[in-house]
Amino acid sequence: MLLKAGKIGVALSMILLLLSISIPVRAQNSNSSLSGAITGADGTAVPNAKISIKNLATDQSTETQTDSSGHYTIPNLVPGDYELGVSAEGYSTNFVKVSIAAGANKTADVTLAGVLSLQDLGISSAQAQGTAQDQARLDKRSHMLKLHQRLGLIAAVPLIATVATSFGAGGRSTSTSDRYLHLALGSATGDLYFMSAYFAIRAPSIPGTQRRGQIRVHRALAWIHGPGMILTPILGAIAFDQKSKGEKVHGIASAHGAVAIVTAAAYGAAILSVSFKF
Amino acid sequence: MHKKVILAILLLAFPQFASADSQWILEESTLIYHVSHPLHQSEGVSHAAKGKGVCHAGQCDFLIAVPVKSFESGDSNRDLHMIQVARGGQFPLITVRTHLPEDASSLASIPADLEIQFAGQTVQYKQIAFQHVTKGSDTLIMGTIPLTLTDFKIDPPSLLALPVKNEIPVRVEMKWRQM
Repeated sequence: MLLKAGKIGVALSMILLLLSISIPVRAQNSNSSLSGAITGADGTAVPNAKISIKNLATDQSTETQTDSSGHYTIPNLVPGDYELGVSAEGYSTNFVKVSIAAGANKTADVTLAGVLSLQDLGISSAQAQGTAQDQARLDKRSHMLKLHQRLGLIAAVPLIATVATSFGAGGRSTSTSDRYLHLALGSATGDLYFMSAYFAIRAPSIPGTQRRGQIRVHRALAWIHGPGMILTPILGAIAFDQKSKGEKVHGIASAHGAVAIVTAAAYGAAILSVSFKF
Repeated sequence: MHKKVILAILLLAFPQFASADSQWILEESTLIYHVSHPLHQSEGVSHAAKGKGVCHAGQCDFLIAVPVKSFESGDSNRDLHMIQVARGGQFPLITVRTHLPEDASSLASIPADLEIQFAGQTVQYKQIAFQHVTKGSDTLIMGTIPLTLTDFKIDPPSLLALPVKNEIPVRVEMKWRQM
């Protein structure tokens, strides 16, 4: 009795073993296939379309492409659920779910829609394409404004030093060296300032652009520090001459200090106006 | 007899209707880029995007285009600088393409693979989540695209010798209508 039960157990084990081996083997040797035709929305065949098929259970993919008549065939497929992906140049990619049964020759025809174009959005090719000249103009403007910015920042250093040395150069001070130092620093400030201003003035404008925001404040302040940068050295030269003759600074030259302070303040405000968002 | 003919015509016609193409039109949009600089933050806003979606056989293709120069930050100087660094003179449009299954409109959050053309470069952004709300006949889509300057080979613009951060996230709010 025990022997009989043992034989039955062995037999069942053999059957289970054979079954477990035979299922995948049969699947791998499946004659299942998928074929079909790929057409555009107008019914024309799409040759050389890329066909990819992914087994949704295993994530394994196979690829092929359509022939000259837009047909494809994928042989030796394991039964199961698949995602068929079809892509071709000039068409939008399409995905189709396909179930393949054992031994079946499934057909899946796919129609591809044309790719949306900018013309579909009402955008003409002229609007979609820029020109190298437009970009060059923007690049030149940007480059010149960068130089304007750098030179402007550098000019702030001797400007501060000029203001700082003004206490030794003016008033009751009779120090000649302080006056020359003030003159030298003021001259350096003026040179850097006008170089910086040149790049801002000569930077090309971009047609159709309306000025908005803090750049308007920056430009408005230039109407104060610009004339100030011209007037300050003229008044300074007169004051220098008067001091050199041992005279007290008088007349229009006495406005040199006030004009210089207003100019320096407007210049500082101009830098801050484009540095921080108010 | 007539009833049978009408029924036959309807049965023949029904699959055609079922597989008919549908379209989506972008009605309104707000795109906001955010730039971070050590001295301040700035945002540029555009409402000028145009977009369309075409659905066929359960799949939808979307195309959205927005002019680079349509973004306004409140400062024309900064806007012109942005156009320059983004090579907007030569490549005046930003285009976004995506491909979605038609039934994605039933999801609250739509994961979309985006193909973005900007500054002469084409970059793929995978699985960008967009929130989706239906209000009457309109569909609202909201999300943030994590753009970076390096993705598009853009040199970071600088102010006072300090460059802006590489990340320029773009907040998207769009109202679509199915036609």
